[in-house]
Amino acid sequence: MTSNTQSQGKKNKKRKKPIISRKEFLQIAGSTGAATLITQLITSGPLSPDAIKGIGEKTHTSVGGESKHAWCMGIDLSKCIGCQYCVWACQATNDVPDDEMRWNIGFPERTENGTEFFMTRPCLHCQEAPCVKVCPVGATWKRNDGIVTMDYKRCIGCRYCEVACPYDVRRFNWKPSESENLYHPIWGSPEVERRARGVVEKCTFCSHRIDRGLEQGLIPGKDREASPACVNICPVNARVFGDHNDPDSPISTFVRKNETFRLREDFGTEPQVHYVRPEKEEA
Amino acid sequence: MAKFDLSIPKEGRQRAWWIWIGTLSIFLVIGVIGAVRVFVLGLQVTGLSDQVPWGLWITQDLSSIATGAGAFTFSAVVYLFSIKKYQPIARAAVFVGFLGYSSAMIALALDIGRPDRFWHPLVYWNVHSVLWEITWCVILYSIVLVLEFLPIIFEGKFFSRWPQLKRYGDLIHKASPIFAGIGLGLSLLHQSSLGATYGVLSGRAIWYKPSLPVMFILSAVAGGIAMTLLLSIVVGKLNNKRVISPQLQYDISRIAGFALLAYLYLKLWDWAATSYYSNSPGTTEALALLQSTTPYTQTFWWIEIILGGIIPAIILLNPRLRKNDLYSIFALGMIVVGVTINRWNVTLSGLVAPPHWSPGVLGNVLAASYLPTWNEIIVSLGIIAYALLAFSFGVKYLPIFGHDEEAAH
Repeated sequence: MTSNTQSQGKKNKKRKKPIISRKEFLQIAGSTGAATLITQLITSGPLSPDAIKGIGEKTHTSVGGESKHAWCMGIDLSKCIGCQYCVWACQATNDVPDDEMRWNIGFPERTENGTEFFMTRPCLHCQEAPCVKVCPVGATWKRNDGIVTMDYKRCIGCRYCEVACPYDVRRFNWKPSESENLYHPIWGSPEVERRARGVVEKCTFCSHRIDRGLEQGLIPGKDREASPACVNICPVNARVFGDHNDPDSPISTFVRKNETFRLREDFGTEPQVHYVRPEKEEA
Repeated sequence: MAKFDLSIPKEGRQRAWWIWIGTLSIFLVIGVIGAVRVFVLGLQVTGLSDQVPWGLWITQDLSSIATGAGAFTFSAVVYLFSIKKYQPIARAAVFVGFLGYSSAMIALALDIGRPDRFWHPLVYWNVHSVLWEITWCVILYSIVLVLEFLPIIFEGKFFSRWPQLKRYGDLIHKASPIFAGIGLGLSLLHQSSLGATYGVLSGRAIWYKPSLPVMFILSAVAGGIAMTLLLSIVVGKLNNKRVISPQLQYDISRIAGFALLAYLYLKLWDWAATSYYSNSPGTTEALALLQSTTPYTQTFWWIEIILGGIIPAIILLNPRLRKNDLYSIFALGMIVVGVTINRWNVTLSGLVAPPHWSPGVLGNVLAASYLPTWNEIIVSLGIIAYALLAFSFGVKYLPIFGHDEEAAH
C-alpha cells in the first residue's frame, strides 16, 4: 500500500501539479453525490417516513371501515339537449383548462334508427374497475362508497390505467397545465387543485363536494352544495345523482322509473352510471 | 484460456473497430440529448396520446426483455440441470440478458411520467396488478443477473489488481445453481406476465385471452436463444475464429428451432380459435378495423409468421441449412425481428382499435393513430447503441467467450 502511494507521489512530481487531484475530485464529487442521494432518500424517497409507513400497504381501501353509501349517477339521453354545460361545469370546478383533458366528455351521436342525440360520459366509477386492478402502486383506488379516485402524489405516470380503461375516461398530463382556465368565472377559484405534469387524472364524481356536504349534514344528489357540478348545472335535469342504497334517492327513483342500461356491461366492469336510451320507448 | 482480442494489430481491423465504436458513440450522445429533452419537457415530446399511451419505448422494453431471455434459459440449462455442454455460451447469455434488462429499465425510466417516483411500486403495493408483479420480478431478476455477471467482471484484466475481488467472484460463482433457480422462477413469472399485462384486460377484446402470457414466454425463449447465438456467431465471424464449437452452434440452433415451433403451434391455435373457427364480435370488429386502417395485419402474417417464424424454423431445423453460417445468421436475426414486431403489433393493435362503448353508431369508429416522433426514435437508437457499445467492450475486455470452466478449474 505504502509503496503504491510513494510511486504515485513520484509521478505527481513529474507532472504539473493540478489544482485539485483526481483523488480529491472524486472524493468531493462522491460525497456530494452521496449526500444529495441520502437527502433525497429520506425526504421524498423510499426511506422517507411517509414511504416507510406505506410499505406493503395494498390500497387505500384498507383504511377506514364500510360505507353505507353507494354513489351512482343517472343520465337521461332522451332529455339531454346537448348544451354541453355539464362538460364546461366540470372543467370549471375541477380546473381542467385544456379541452383535450376533459374528464366529462360530450359529442353528437346518432342511433341505429337515425335519431340524433348528444352523448355525454363522465367516469363510470366501475365497481370492478380495470384501472384500479392494474395500477402498480395503488394510486387509483375504489373508495368504500364506490367512488374510483386517485392519489396524484402516488401516481408514477405509467399510464397502464389508460390502457386498461375501455371507456377512454383517463387523461394523462403530457405537458404542464399552465394555461388560463377560460371555463371558470372571473370570480372565486376552482374547487380542485390542478394536477402536475406526468400524472394521470380522472373524474371523481366531485368527491370533494360529497365529502364536505356529508360533513355539513347535507344529502348528495338532493342538496346542490353536496352534488357533482355536472348534475347541478344541467338545465333539463338530464343528470341525476344519489345514493343507490337509499331507496328514496333521486338515482334510485331514476332507475326504478326508467328502463336503464349501462355502457358495455359485457366487459364485466359493473359501471355505476345508468343511462336512459335517447329514443324513449312509449310506456 | 483463449481470449478474443479485436485489437489484433492488423491495420483494417483496428480502424473498423474505431469506426464501429465511434458510430455507436455518436448515436449514444444523440440519444442522451434526446433523453435530457424528455426529462426537461416531459412526454409531450412523444407521439403518444391518451388513446395510444404506449408506443415505441414499451415495444423496446418488451422486446429487449424478451431477447434477454437467453440468460435464464442457459443459466437453468447449465447450472440447474447441469447440462455442461452448453457452458461455453452461458456467459454470453447472461451478459446479453443483463444488457437487455438494463436497456429495458432505461426505456422505462424515460417512459413513466414521474421517473422520480420509480420506487413507488416497491413501497406501495397493489398485489392485484400484473405490473406490480412485473416491477418486482424485473428488479429482483436484474439483481440476479448482476450477481451472475459479477464473477466475469472480476476476472477481467482491470480487476486483477484487487485479487480479493476475484475470490468474492468465485464465491458468488459457487452459488450459481441457486441464482439459476431463482432466475428461472422470476423469469417464468415476469416474461409471461408481460403478456398478461394485455391478456387480463377484459375491455379490449383482441388482447383478452389466456394465450397471450404463454405466447410471450415461448417467443421470449426462442428470441432469447436466437439473440445470444446470433451475437456469438457474429463475434466469431468478425474475429475470423469461432467462439463456440460448430457442433454446439448446431445444437443450439436446433433448440431455437424447436422453441420457435412450439411458439408457432400456439400462435396457430390462438389465431384459429379466436378468428377462424369462431366469431366473437369484439375481436372481429377490432381486426376488421385494423385490417382496413393499419399495416398490422400485413406485418403479422409476413414478418411475425413467415419471415420471423416459418422460414427460420425451416433453416434451423434442417441439418444441412443450419450448417451454413450465413443462413443461420439470417434465421436468428429474423427471429429477433419477428419477436420485436410481435411486441409492437400486440401493444399497438389493442390501442389503435379501441372498443366501441357509445350507444350510438358514430362514436369511435375511427382507429386511433400513433407514429413515434424523432425524439422517441433517437432515444430508442441511443439505448440500442448503449447495449451494442457495452457488448463490444465486454467482448473485448472481459472473458465472455472462450472461457472453459472445466479447464479453468
